[in-house]
Amino acid sequence: MDLSQPKHFNQAAIVAPAGYLRIPLSSSARGWNLLLEKRSLVVNSLLLLLLMAVAVVSLSLGTVKLGPAEVVAALLGEGSQIHQFVIRELRLQRVLAGIATGGAFALSGCLMQTLARNRLATPGIIGIDNAATAFAVASVVGTGLALAPSAMALAGAATATALAFGLAGGSGTQGYRFIIAGLGIGAIAGAVTQVMLSRVAIDAANAAYPWTVGSLNARNPVATAILGAGLAIGMVLALILGRRLRILLFADPVVVGLGINLQRVRFLGLCLSVLLTGLAVAVAGPVGLVALLGPEIARALSRYQGVPLLASALAGAIIMVLADLTGRLMLAPLEIPVGIVTAVIGSPYLLWILLRRSPKSHL
Amino acid sequence: MISTVLERWRRASARRSLIPSLLVTGFLLSGVCILSLLFGAGTVPVADAFAVLGGQGSDEARFIVTELRLPRTLIGLAVGVALGVAGALLQAVARNPLAEPGLLGVSAGSAFAVAVAILLGASAATLTVAVAQLGALAGCMFVLAAARLQGVGNDPIRLVLAGAALSSLLMALTSLLLLFDERAADEIRFWVTGSVSGRDLSNLISVLPSLAVAGMITALIARPLASLALGERVAVGLGHHPGRLRLLVVIAVALLVGSATAIAGPLVFVGLVVPFVARALVGADIRRTLWLCLPIGPIVVIGSDILSRLVAAPTELPLGVLTALIGAPVLLAIVRARRMPTL
Repeated sequence: MDLSQPKHFNQAAIVAPAGYLRIPLSSSARGWNLLLEKRSLVVNSLLLLLLMAVAVVSLSLGTVKLGPAEVVAALLGEGSQIHQFVIRELRLQRVLAGIATGGAFALSGCLMQTLARNRLATPGIIGIDNAATAFAVASVVGTGLALAPSAMALAGAATATALAFGLAGGSGTQGYRFIIAGLGIGAIAGAVTQVMLSRVAIDAANAAYPWTVGSLNARNPVATAILGAGLAIGMVLALILGRRLRILLFADPVVVGLGINLQRVRFLGLCLSVLLTGLAVAVAGPVGLVALLGPEIARALSRYQGVPLLASALAGAIIMVLADLTGRLMLAPLEIPVGIVTAVIGSPYLLWILLRRSPKSHL
Repeated sequence: MISTVLERWRRASARRSLIPSLLVTGFLLSGVCILSLLFGAGTVPVADAFAVLGGQGSDEARFIVTELRLPRTLIGLAVGVALGVAGALLQAVARNPLAEPGLLGVSAGSAFAVAVAILLGASAATLTVAVAQLGALAGCMFVLAAARLQGVGNDPIRLVLAGAALSSLLMALTSLLLLFDERAADEIRFWVTGSVSGRDLSNLISVLPSLAVAGMITALIARPLASLALGERVAVGLGHHPGRLRLLVVIAVALLVGSATAIAGPLVFVGLVVPFVARALVGADIRRTLWLCLPIGPIVVIGSDILSRLVAAPTELPLGVLTALIGAPVLLAIVRARRMPTL
């Protein structure tokens, strides 16, 4: 075949690799093709369905119990006034916040794990959550009102990341060293938060409290909207970056040999991860373990060689909504903050990862 | 840069003998104790407090110095010694410079046990101490079991991460308990942040027997521990029993950390900082390190306590916050060191 004249390629003759689905985006010979992995297609659809089911369950349960049909009716603006109020004003906000924060934390975790080539390198563990929290609490304590929590949390997240990577002297290559550096930074940030909370009047301290444990109860609608937009943009950018991230799983020389600008991909991925974490902390506070669990589940399910970005976000959203639901119902009318629920579920899992006899690989 | 300076200092000081360091730190400790009596915790001018030390001064000043600041200083002394020695022992037996009761979940285990006991209605001081020690024992067992696992022992950082995970689990469970019971919540909060204020001497007296026992065990095992540092086989060859040794260390650490936690709550990083400084002064030999932990531990705790009174006066910061602020940079310095030191 004459390679210098690609227009002679017959579009129909191009065969997708095994396990992949090829969708030609135009009929012309030189047109773009979309390659989709069948398994991840199935996994993502199932996760999406599951997320929808969990969301409906979360909408229907609570002090006022509603059937799924009533929930759907209320969402569509039908049914009784009270039902509409409960669903649309109270629970929908919360479920949306849960989906957005869960998705953002998990996507951010997936990105950072890939960049650092270490499954433990999630924003929560390297102290980004705590730093973002410290900055957000500072804004509440310092000004008496939640002064643009998103911006403050973002600033905190960026600061912590810069410190962790700076102190460890780089990302992937230093392995666990960078995680310990983050652990120290997280401890300092946590202490600073405590200092601020102990310094202020009880009202301001109460206003800042949800940030310290991680709760969906005190979410800020504006912050949720900002996070939603950020998550949508972040997901698109992450998927665009995804092909290169996948190559990042190889050793550095291989990556460079394949023509990837390693520094730039790392930097972009890191920025994206920090952005998502900061925005999510502004809504829900530090619920960092979702960033560990979401990608973990996604990888186990999709089992393909790439980076399961979308599946991670979906799994994270499911975990978050479920954890929030558990926290609301388990000791009702008492409410357990979602951060505590995820810590109780996630920490034993983290321990298991760390203490297993022979870790297969770091990722 | 800091770490290279420390490294150089450590290498130079490895040959330095114990006595001068002990004298200097002992002198510093007495200075810190006097400062602790002079500043903060009650509104008494420094001059008046000084007069009390000389046997004069007003009744009010005497009350504040002898009834508030003196017990607090003594408790800081005991807590500092206990945590410093516990840190040194744990680091020696886990052969991990990052092993630290606070980071590894021993203190969290202790605090969780206390929280459960309070929830179940316990309030007697001696019972609290016993429960705290049981919790610390469980936490300590976990740490050593984890350190013995294949692969984890050679990787200091993985052990620390496991400890962090255990701590976060225990802290989440403790917060869960706080939700159950308002009365317990008030008492438990007391422990969770860590503080030496508002305790009286009866708290201290209730832990003295445990500290004495732990001290005897430590004196007994210092030499075998030093040979364990040469490797398990060498230790066996020299006639020691590593298994028995480990058990004794676990008991001593549980007694020390449990006592400290029962009085002052979980204080993170003290057990990391103190042996780190001690090693920097006299080298890695556990026997000399242990001696030096005796003055340095209280210096760190009482010094942090003085800061906690002064930084945000007239209110006080929780002591645990101060030790975290001081300890985290030390953690970073250890990790930044070019070569992760192995013990």
